[in-house]
Amino acid sequence: MTILATSNKAPEDPQVHRVLLGKQQILVSEDEPLLPQLERAGVTIEYQCREGYCSSCAIKLLWGKVEYPVEPLAWIHSGAMLACCAIVKSDIEIGFF
Amino acid sequence: MSYSTFNRKKFDSLQEPMFFGENVNVARYDQQKHPIFEKLIEKQLSFFWRPEEVDLSNDRKDFLKLEVHEQHIFLSNLKYQTLLDSVQGRSPNVALLPIVSLPELETWIETWSFSETIHSRSYTHIIRNIVNDPTKVFDDIIVNDEIAKRAISVSKYYDDLIELVNLYNTLGLGVHHVPERGDVTVSMHSLKKALYLTVASVNVLEAIRFYVSFACSFAFAERTLMEGNAKIIKLIARDEALHLNGTQHMMNLMALGRDDPEMAKIAEECKDDVINIFVEAAQQEKDWAKYLFKDGSMIGLNAQILGQYVEYITNVRMQAVGLEAQFETKNNPIPWINAWLVSDNVQVAPQEAEITSYLVGQIDNDLDGADFDDFGDL
Repeated sequence: MTILATSNKAPEDPQVHRVLLGKQQILVSEDEPLLPQLERAGVTIEYQCREGYCSSCAIKLLWGKVEYPVEPLAWIHSGAMLACCAIVKSDIEIGFF
Repeated sequence: MSYSTFNRKKFDSLQEPMFFGENVNVARYDQQKHPIFEKLIEKQLSFFWRPEEVDLSNDRKDFLKLEVHEQHIFLSNLKYQTLLDSVQGRSPNVALLPIVSLPELETWIETWSFSETIHSRSYTHIIRNIVNDPTKVFDDIIVNDEIAKRAISVSKYYDDLIELVNLYNTLGLGVHHVPERGDVTVSMHSLKKALYLTVASVNVLEAIRFYVSFACSFAFAERTLMEGNAKIIKLIARDEALHLNGTQHMMNLMALGRDDPEMAKIAEECKDDVINIFVEAAQQEKDWAKYLFKDGSMIGLNAQILGQYVEYITNVRMQAVGLEAQFETKNNPIPWINAWLVSDNVQVAPQEAEITSYLVGQIDNDLDGADFDDFGDL
């Protein structure tokens, strides 16, 4: 199943990456963090603060690259990522804890 | 040994551990061993709020219209939260300030504890506004068995640490005879172990224990009842999410050996104890949910759903400190709560949106010629 999670993608920023979650594949852009794009794709994901300090949206980053435009306050364990503030920078595979 | 309010020794605080090193002397933040604590201070200050800003006049009318069993749910939660913040408004200061060794962490502890005193004052604000005699509500906190059980759990690790630190500061290391207590062994190992368990217990307090109460407050507000209260609870929840970040950082820094190498060994040694602290607290919260709903549930919530939520949030919090989830519950049974727990749509007065990124008197110093282009040729 492939879902294009983003609409109105700016033509000057054509970076689209695949996010693998189990058997699901979601296309995301670099325009905004992963969390809202997953939500639009119908993926339920825990969240609270949505600004990188509460850790609630921590998920497994199995492989691939994400970046944080602003370093979040929450502790990020190795092999994990914060969905609310991470920008996906390559194809990635994620999982839930 | 004995605590000094201004340590005269010259030492490099960047080489000190978070706790049990030198007493802090100069409150300086130009250099920091763990800059996260300074960032937490800044964030907490940007969250500043006052309970009196929230109008509760409609809550009084709503409260009178609630069913008796719903009034029991509402007041019991307020009593429990009052207990939790009574503890949190003083204990980080009393227990941790005598042993802290980093200026940025010392100030975070004080900032953190101060914000808890705002929560305590907000409970008085709420109770004063909705009942005629607040004394009845507050007096019951000490005599109510269900609350007393929880008071023991939330204070015992603090009290153990405080006792050991008092002995350490007056008598030093060794085995000391304490009247009515017997012999107490004070070693760096027992002190650090008591500290680690205290931090874990505080993390559980702020990351799990508040949430049954939060869920009930927001469930009332989903029915457009007690909305002033829900506004206050939103502000409290925002603060608590920041506080749990602080204890998560302390636990992770200790456990991963990024602070005091001995603490990493102690964290490993205490792993089962910490798992038990989480699991026991979850069980107590589930029992609390049963007590709340003993005379009847409320729309959208019952003891079973709240129990599942407690298990779910416990899993989330355990994973954040590097522990395995202990419960089967994989999904949030009340996903609507998250919309209430989001930070940035907290609005106090109708005319004033409390956006966390908004700072009074904020100035942008990074200007160049291009910023004036819009002015045209004047």
